[in-house]
Amino acid sequence: MEGVFNQPEFAPCPACGVPLHVEVFPALFRKTNAGQGGEAIMVEGESSCFYHPLKKAVLPCDGCGRFLCALCDCALDGRHFCPTCLETGRTKGKIKSLENQRTLYDSIALALAVYPMLIFYFTIITAPMALFVAIRYWKSPQSILRRTKIRFIAAIIISLLQIGGWVTLIIVLATRH
Amino acid sequence: MPEIRYQRLTRARARSVFAVSFQSRVSLWLGPDHLLCVDSSGYGENYKRFYFRDIQAVTIRETKRRTVWNGFLIFPPAITLVGFMMSAFPLNQNVGAAIAWSIVTAIFLVPLIINNILGATCKCQLRTAVQIEELPSLCRVRQTRKVLAKIRPLIAAAQGGELSAEAVSARMRDWAVSSAGTEPARIVPDESNIPPRIAT
Repeated sequence: MEGVFNQPEFAPCPACGVPLHVEVFPALFRKTNAGQGGEAIMVEGESSCFYHPLKKAVLPCDGCGRFLCALCDCALDGRHFCPTCLETGRTKGKIKSLENQRTLYDSIALALAVYPMLIFYFTIITAPMALFVAIRYWKSPQSILRRTKIRFIAAIIISLLQIGGWVTLIIVLATRH
Repeated sequence: MPEIRYQRLTRARARSVFAVSFQSRVSLWLGPDHLLCVDSSGYGENYKRFYFRDIQAVTIRETKRRTVWNGFLIFPPAITLVGFMMSAFPLNQNVGAAIAWSIVTAIFLVPLIINNILGATCKCQLRTAVQIEELPSLCRVRQTRKVLAKIRPLIAAAQGGELSAEAVSARMRDWAVSSAGTEPARIVPDESNIPPRIAT
């Protein structure tokens, strides 16, 4: 098996013969340290962990300032958080490196503006919806990747045109009678 | 906190071969200290970050997908080629039909040619201490090599250097020796009605 690691070219897998290229990095051989359990308080009056009153506090949380023991200390990007702040930061998107999903409201608005045009009767409902989504979520975080507001702008223009078309149609039909 | 600027490594690609437009598409991006795998459904995105300091290995396995696709893609131009032959021979029998058939054949040949120009297909997996993640956007050997050439120095810089093939072999042997010395935990079943215990 050793013959397939970090070779310049593909080498056949010793087990099944499939051409294989395995690039191994030093992290594979790094020993993982066991997590610390937190030191018990030996002297009365010593600062204790907010979550474990019998354990010695080692540092404050960078989010809420509560004292934490070694067990509760969650280190992330050079900062230290308690489990609660970490969870809050993840769910509310305050800690960017923990953010693992985003909704693309600009794509939703554009889809609402464009797709119903196939059966244009639907646009009487979807055009105001597209306009609402575009305006309501104009400032909401977009994709993590670089993205302009062009979809929002296109959705607004298309939906305004549709609304304009429907208003004109209704006026024409009303004045004809 | 300012937004991180990512550099595109691969274009978005569907997870499975017979994907439809509604299915999620995966792309790979390069960040300052990590790889970002973006799984996009069109209306939402899911992100997975692989920090350079945590990447243990990248595995590329060659697949036969290109050959399979060639098998499928050869049929339409083969059929239209028969049509072309029938209209073209004997010579100058039906010039208009021959031209039409040749155009259709050329159109059908395009995907076949593209499939072969893109090169051999592969599956790429990335291993960290806690997961083995497949990267569906890396599906061609040439493209995967390019991406690997780009990220290899970054991973090496984050982990304090690259490993040569000899160094990996030596470390693997050390690893095998050290793990052979430690006896695995023995699981002792006492009774059939209670869970087994680990012998000390």
